[in-house]
Amino acid sequence: MEATRQIYWNMGHGVVIPMYILAFAAFGVLAWGFWQRLPIWRQGKALDRFDHYDERVKRMISEVFGQAKVFRVTEGGVFHSIFFWSFLILFAGTMLVMFQADFFTPVLKVNLLSGEFYKAFSLVLDIAGILAIVMLAGLFIRRFVTRPDGLEIVRDDYIVLQLLFAILITGFLIEGARMAATELQQNPALARFSPGGLLAGQLFTTLTPGTLLVTHKILWWLHFVLVLGFFCAVPYTKLRHILTTSANAFLAPFEAKGSIATINMEDDTVEQFGTATISDLSWKDIFDADACTSCKRCQERCPAYTTDKPLSPMKLIKQIGELAEGNPTGSLSETISQDAIWACTTCRACQDICPANIEHVNKILEMRRNLTLMEGAFPGDEVKTAVNNIEVNGNPFGLAFAARGDWAEGLQISVMEQDSDVDILYFVGCYASFDKRNQAIARNFITICNAAGVKVGILGKEEKCCGEPVRKLGNEYLYQMTAAENIELIKTYNVRKIVTTCPHCFNTLARDYKDLGLDIPVEHYTTYINTLLENNKLNLTPETFRYTYHDSCYLGRYMDIIEQPRSILTRAGGSITEMDKSGYDSFCCSAGGGRIIAEEKLGSKISEARIKMATDTGAPLLVSNCPFCMTMFEDGIKTGGAEDVLRVRDLAEIVAERIVA
Amino acid sequence: MKLLVCIKQVPDLESRFKPDATGTWFSETDLAFRMNEYDEYAVEQAVRLREQLGDSCELTVLSIGPDRVVEAIKKALAMGCDNAAHIQDNAASSKDPWQIAATIAAYAKDKGFDIIFTGMQSQDRGSAQVGVTVAELLGIACTTTIVGFACDSGTITAKRELEGGIKGVVKLKTPALVTCQLGLNVPRYPTLPNIMKAKKKEIIAIPVGDLLKEEALAITASFHPPAKKGGGIVLEGDVADLVEKVIAILKDKTAVLR
Amino acid sequence: MKTLLIGEYREGKLLESTYELLSFAAQLNADTAMLLVGSESQLPAYAGTLYLADIATCGEYNPDLHKKLILDAVQKENPDCIVFLHSSYGWDLAPRVAAALKAAQISEVIANLDGGFEVGCCNAKMRRTVKSTTARTVITIQAGAFPVLQPGGSPAVQKLTADSSGNLEFIGYEPAEKKDVDLAKAEVIVTAGRGIGKKDNVPVIQALARALGGELGASRPVVDAGWVEHSHQVGTTGQTVSPKLYIACGVSGAIQHLAGMKKSDFIIAINKDKDAPIGEVADVLVVADVMQFVPALTAKVAK
Ligand SMILES: Cc1cc2nc3c(=O)[nH]c(=O)nc-3n(C[C@H](O)[C@H](O)[C@H](O)COP(=O)(O)OP(=O)(O)OC[C@H]3O[C@@H](n4cnc5c(N)ncnc54)[C@H](O)[C@@H]3O)c2cc1C
Ligand code: SF4
Ligand code: SF4
Repeated sequence: MEATRQIYWNMGHGVVIPMYILAFAAFGVLAWGFWQRLPIWRQGKALDRFDHYDERVKRMISEVFGQAKVFRVTEGGVFHSIFFWSFLILFAGTMLVMFQADFFTPVLKVNLLSGEFYKAFSLVLDIAGILAIVMLAGLFIRRFVTRPDGLEIVRDDYIVLQLLFAILITGFLIEGARMAATELQQNPALARFSPGGLLAGQLFTTLTPGTLLVTHKILWWLHFVLVLGFFCAVPYTKLRHILTTSANAFLAPFEAKGSIATINMEDDTVEQFGTATISDLSWKDIFDADACTSCKRCQERCPAYTTDKPLSPMKLIKQIGELAEGNPTGSLSETISQDAIWACTTCRACQDICPANIEHVNKILEMRRNLTLMEGAFPGDEVKTAVNNIEVNGNPFGLAFAARGDWAEGLQISVMEQDSDVDILYFVGCYASFDKRNQAIARNFITICNAAGVKVGILGKEEKCCGEPVRKLGNEYLYQMTAAENIELIKTYNVRKIVTTCPHCFNTLARDYKDLGLDIPVEHYTTYINTLLENNKLNLTPETFRYTYHDSCYLGRYMDIIEQPRSILTRAGGSITEMDKSGYDSFCCSAGGGRIIAEEKLGSKISEARIKMATDTGAPLLVSNCPFCMTMFEDGIKTGGAEDVLRVRDLAEIVAERIVA
Repeated sequence: MKLLVCIKQVPDLESRFKPDATGTWFSETDLAFRMNEYDEYAVEQAVRLREQLGDSCELTVLSIGPDRVVEAIKKALAMGCDNAAHIQDNAASSKDPWQIAATIAAYAKDKGFDIIFTGMQSQDRGSAQVGVTVAELLGIACTTTIVGFACDSGTITAKRELEGGIKGVVKLKTPALVTCQLGLNVPRYPTLPNIMKAKKKEIIAIPVGDLLKEEALAITASFHPPAKKGGGIVLEGDVADLVEKVIAILKDKTAVLR
Repeated sequence: MKTLLIGEYREGKLLESTYELLSFAAQLNADTAMLLVGSESQLPAYAGTLYLADIATCGEYNPDLHKKLILDAVQKENPDCIVFLHSSYGWDLAPRVAAALKAAQISEVIANLDGGFEVGCCNAKMRRTVKSTTARTVITIQAGAFPVLQPGGSPAVQKLTADSSGNLEFIGYEPAEKKDVDLAKAEVIVTAGRGIGKKDNVPVIQALARALGGELGASRPVVDAGWVEHSHQVGTTGQTVSPKLYIACGVSGAIQHLAGMKKSDFIIAINKDKDAPIGEVADVLVVADVMQFVPALTAKVAK
């Protein structure tokens, strides 16, 4: 007997027309649901997210079907991904059946669903169905029984979980009923290829044939209605993420990570800067709220949230959604609270982990721009002072600008004003220029360059703050003023390459200054030293040590520089014990986003939390690559009582000690 | 109502000061300039009054000095002044307070300002004379070092800061001049739209020669660093000895112990 | 040389700082007369001419009237210098008198030298020597720059009166607000750093602050640890201060701390570490254990 099945068995081809009508109606409801959301999204400003079309499509297909972002977090992610793939297979299988019945058979007169293919088809679908039920059960237990911290239960969870369970189970029941009446008796060998159906079929073996047929019909319709219900529910429940999250994989930005819109300061027709209400956001920002799956991954990684500050990136996205829907003229900063907006360190942990490609950081920055540029607000008086200091003296400490180059006295280094024929321009930054602890790092970097025969120039007193902290606090005006002065100055010298020891300067000069017209290669000293080592320009005598390493946000997550520093430290003789959170999952030191010039008044100290993670590794040494991190860790070690167990040192210090003379 | 606020641009006090070629004032090399702190309070208070009174009120900011002072003027305009007078004087630093006051008084003479705001003193010269002298030259009421200000139908109620945190409450009839002290208010940070608007506001330039007809009454003979106070002494040794030494230093170098 | 000294009364009391005027005049080797708007019940202990106007009728703050009284005394005395304290009374009144006389005014004098009067500028970082070109000079002297000199004796009182045409009305005094601390205005700050070791030692530092008539400051770790209130914190995330005297006890001198106190006129640091960065800004670095040194110093100061 041929391995196949009769489609529309027991239902008759009479169901085709009502079935399609109802199906189209359901799709109509789905489309209508989203159509109704259009005006909500359209409250936002225009933004082109349809460029790079082909690449966007490719990215969407790979992200949606590959589920890599979802899978990155195993807790919850594994269940979701396997469920997704299983459900996808079921969906595709059902589609194939539909095509067979209403296209291949009547039009092409072929039967794909037969023979060996049919056996495989049956088996795969049944396994997918079983997996889907198991994964759904897993998700159910996670949501209602084990309930990881921060996971909420909302109305949608009941609807969606029940609906999916019902669809899967009724699917097996129809199959079981059909098989009880057909395969189980006529072709038991084939039945083995439908293990789920085989099992479900056992429920029906005692029924009389008449009852069985009626039961099957009822189940069929029930299953069908549930599926229609599923489609109808998509726009009105969490299920919308199937489309919106997928769409976001298409809509995600193509600019370099960390790009912020550069405001055109010449345009004096603009009267609103930054985001005050919903209409100041882009449509994509509003759409993001619909794409959020409430997976809370962002929240549990947020250094502000986890140290009890009033910021949750997830909640922030939801609040935007709520305002867009209910009160579009309401004030964002009042709804979200200024404290929350100022608490962000722009560490990008949220955005990096978000499976839905939601852009948290720039939303926060735009709200800060509104507070700063439109209201002259600051997170605290200390910030106001620091900002004034940058304005006047080009550094947040308010120290005399003329003293900026003093640290370099007596070193083999040229000040560009006097001699600009150098291999690299070292952009020192405020901390390494003025802060004693960080000056040591600058000196060590010079030692390294000297050993490698690299001629280094600095701008000395001509250099100014790169503007990063104020930009991240929303003060685009001051940022552009200081940046413009730096750029103009750098351009007057024939600079071939810029190296920084500060990841914040690095990001700003390498990426942000491009928008303002600086186009010179910029490198962070970690990759620069790594290249020197690889080219044997610099050689180290390894000396063993145990350490743990902190990936600063602006080097790791923003610039993907994760391996090179580790490889340098390995050459130097280090053996690493990684912290729980490292690489792309690293945990901020607390200084990003301009927080370096602000006091951490709320919650507990982020730096202490990070120091705790470092001491937990048991390594006696924490290696950092950023003056801000260094400052925070020196502080966190003191206040966190870790002085006896942990020291923090910069990578440059480790390298400089081991140079082969 | 017509308001005037007088501001000075001063070097940031973190700067290192060196005498200039004349040896009577500082050299401007390597100095960063900003608005005199006390004048910021004056501008803020004037702007608040201007906002309170609405468009029936006009607020002018005035500054004497070389072209660099336009930066400070722009900041005052961005904070909310309506227009500005830049009295151009490349040698402003060589003028004594009497001449500066005479210049301002000559400017203000026929303009009918109801209230003039100034800082209580400049951070660099610190003579605390200009405001009061302007008032005397114009023959208007004046009070100094205010930390509280209210104005109601031609009467100003001001709180003066006295030693030890006590305050003296004073009422003055306009026209009047007040000099402003730390604690009066918290100066605003100009918003970007206001910075943009300020770019279009009028700054009238007046050569100082048009206004100043007075000779200096006091002259600076020299500008120099203080005799070393103690300059980085390191004291080590027996505690009792150390205490003696420190007491001696306190008596000698500070006004704290006598 | 002849000086007319303008004494001060506040809330019905003769201010002790009036005697600083006498030591200034003594340094000038000048003949002195004094003018006081005060009352006969409290006269300065000095044997010289005293022009006395009655405080009950002339008021404590009535600059226009006081100016007239001074001009009257100037007529009578014909002094070369009219000397005020650089105080809220003096800096308010002196320019009025100077303008009326079209005399040079030299403010906040800290010393008199051969070439002129020495005054501070640029936040006490620098000095100027200023000379008068007019026959009469109005001077204000820095509070505390000249010692109190109480020669004793009783003055020869000459009464003055004048009527006010003033356009200013003095309403009264308001007591100082009961603020926890106002470091920004403190003249002396004694700061506790982590080097004090524990919370129980805070009173030791506080005692020195009291003895010097100053306020208690704190570095951030001391505040974070809850040893001292945040309102006492000095530094970038605390307050920026510029007292006449800053004593840092067990403070290492991190940049965030330095940024808040570098502008102090005179800095003494007490640290057991000779190389602590605070040494870079300190005028005097006392290498000692805080808990031994500070109580000993307090005891001496209190005497
Ligand atoms: C963003 C940010 C903002 C900050 N803002 C501020 C701020 O506003 N204000 C501030 O103060 N800090 C601030 N800090 C902290 C600053 O970096 C330092 O950690 C802090 O100032 C150190 O305080 P300390 O000097 O009291 O302690 P430590 O650095 O621990 O110094 C203690 C000192 O006491 C000495 N000592 C120890 N025992 C004795 C003894 N028995 N006798 C004598 N000396 C002894 C030691 O030699 C040492 O020099 C900030 C830090 C960050 C990261
Ligand atoms: S960028 Fe970092 S601090 Fe800001 S919301 Fe995201 S996770 Fe939190
Ligand atoms: S914003 Fe992204 S990471 Fe955060 S809850 Fe929503 S989907 Fe998850």
